[in-house]
Amino acid sequence: MTPRSGYRFSFAFLHALAPYLLAFLTTALAMGLIYLVRGSLNPSIVALLFLLPVGLCTFLWGLGPGICAALAAFLAFNYFFLQPYFTFLVHQTQDLLALMVFLAVAVVINQLLGRSRQSLRAATAREREAIRLYELSSVLAFSQEDEAIVQTIAGQAAETFQADRVEVALEAVAGERPLSRSAAGGEVPPDSEANLLIPLETARGVLGEIRLWREYPPLTAAEERLLRTFASQGVLALERARFSKAEARARVLEESDRVKSSLLSSVSHELRSPLATIKAAATSLRSGEVPRESEAASDLLAAIEEETDHLNQLVSNLLNMSRIEAGALKPQRKWNLLVEIVSGAVNRLRRDRAVQQHKIEVDIPDDLPLVPVDDIQMEQVFTNLVSNSLKYSPEHSTIRVQAWHSDVNTVLVQVSNEGPPVSEEHLERIFDKFHRITAADRVTGTGLGLSICKGIVEAHGGRIWAENLRQGFAFKFTLPLTWEGAQARVQIE
Amino acid sequence: MSSEPHILVIDDEPQIRRALRTILSAKRFRVTVASQGEEGLALAAAQQPDVIILDLSLPDLDGVEVCARLREWTQVPIIVLSVRDSERDKVDALDRGADDYLTKPFGIEELLARIRVALRHSAQSQGSKRTVIQAGPIVIDLAGHTVARDAEEIKLTATEFKLLAYLAANVGRVLTHSAILTHVWGAADADRVEYLRVYIRQLRKKLEDDPEQPKYLVNEPGIGYRFLADE
Repeated sequence: MTPRSGYRFSFAFLHALAPYLLAFLTTALAMGLIYLVRGSLNPSIVALLFLLPVGLCTFLWGLGPGICAALAAFLAFNYFFLQPYFTFLVHQTQDLLALMVFLAVAVVINQLLGRSRQSLRAATAREREAIRLYELSSVLAFSQEDEAIVQTIAGQAAETFQADRVEVALEAVAGERPLSRSAAGGEVPPDSEANLLIPLETARGVLGEIRLWREYPPLTAAEERLLRTFASQGVLALERARFSKAEARARVLEESDRVKSSLLSSVSHELRSPLATIKAAATSLRSGEVPRESEAASDLLAAIEEETDHLNQLVSNLLNMSRIEAGALKPQRKWNLLVEIVSGAVNRLRRDRAVQQHKIEVDIPDDLPLVPVDDIQMEQVFTNLVSNSLKYSPEHSTIRVQAWHSDVNTVLVQVSNEGPPVSEEHLERIFDKFHRITAADRVTGTGLGLSICKGIVEAHGGRIWAENLRQGFAFKFTLPLTWEGAQARVQIE
Repeated sequence: MSSEPHILVIDDEPQIRRALRTILSAKRFRVTVASQGEEGLALAAAQQPDVIILDLSLPDLDGVEVCARLREWTQVPIIVLSVRDSERDKVDALDRGADDYLTKPFGIEELLARIRVALRHSAQSQGSKRTVIQAGPIVIDLAGHTVARDAEEIKLTATEFKLLAYLAANVGRVLTHSAILTHVWGAADADRVEYLRVYIRQLRKKLEDDPEQPKYLVNEPGIGYRFLADE
């Protein structure tokens, strides 16, 4: 036996002995008090008074100490208060009878009190158990993660059982590593065996186990039963968490399936229309029906060029969309002049003849600080917002791109047009994938442009929304002016 | 050997090779094609072309690697072709020795302009360098350290002039952010793009008709800047 467990043993012994000693002391104290006033008391009153410490001891420390007190009282009564004094001899039959009755009464009281005390304790213990279980199950009901569940069980078990240490270990499941959480109330020597092992079992196999260390007091059968109940509550929670995770995965798959099929139908339509134009233009040029140096020929050639640009734009939108979906859209930030990005996008768009029907005005203050953005991605945002504005606004109207400092660390950008107002419900959903305000056959586009803008702006830490203006309609978005906590600092000579 | 400039096209797309061969031959260039990196390297060594057009995505070798291996022994101008969204590859190729880049799909005028610039620069690096560069109303005298617009002298700070002079000396050619920053501010500031943005904005205000629609100091998104002059 190690010194440590020797210490534990003597402590346990003392702990068990203490109530008896206390019962003995209480009786002795009572005896002393009664002895002081013995002159004015007759033996029957003394016997009644001696019942008090007996009842008190039983009530406070239970049956055993109660019996101990009864015996001590019996002996003390006999020795000090019945003649002849200071001997255990009894001369009168009457006194002997009184002594016997005293003992019987003391024992009966003791038994009655002791039982009621025991059943009270059992009831309290059951109530505590019930409260613990209720607490456990209500906490577990809100836990969706294995980790939280395991931590809760360990913590609650350590507290409930006053354990030195509780460890809850889960076996590895597909794609995840084994998980183990522990809670400690006391110290446990390393590598010591757990005092109790309870498996976390389901109908389909073992998920893991609960290990509990408690040297003293030893675990009772009731406690073991309670720990098993903990285990089954834990198993239920774990299973529920796993089912809900599986369900969420299934929902995501279903959703992405739906998105993919809408994407395919939208994309194939969008790819075909420029291809149709290109094919028609190229074949008619080759057929010789259109004179080579005519206006018609140059129109056809311009159409081919514009449609290839459309296709190119479409492909970059698709690529960006798939990056956003895969969570792989990481902006390559650099300090940029916003006006440079905007004019890049606008100049590229102006090559299209349809765009030349509109006026595009760029109004960005000269003193706007540099913005920390990925210029390629931001150019895509402006291209998409401006081309969307072009699609929905009347011919020969003006599209305005404006930006201003909305607060110290933010720039607000607005792309506005003179198009008709958009109803509230559309304003909110306009950045959703494939959301259209007009029927698909009336306006071209994949239905991806705006959701890409949203993806890019949000990846930059900004926010995008749409609103109706007094005259027209606007997209607005914000961009932070800080990067790694600071704005661009350039010293100019 | 003919006097026509000789162009080596290294691209794995047969349609691109066919189109470039047809178009460039029509423009009186001599054209050789290769479909793989190793083959291209061998042809470059054997035939000593005047310009190499190199696709960055090749089946056998990384285009950036081809660039680096060519630069081990030749200063022949290299124009890289690449798709949009791979700016990092383009910058890598430019920093590893490529002279210019084109984003697929490209217009043929753009390609021809790049080839002309490349040929002019390689002719200059062999002969005497131009010291006066003219771009519209702007005249930059590299030797005399003066800049004039419509015959009126424009005051530039030392850094502004250093920046403009570097861009103008490479007229028509793209220069990456890090190349410009290293040349003008020093290697320690090679990633301080904010300096470049601010100084470019100042130069545009002093030189361009409309600083928001620059004609001479042109931005190349994600790559760098290019100084354009009249051909």
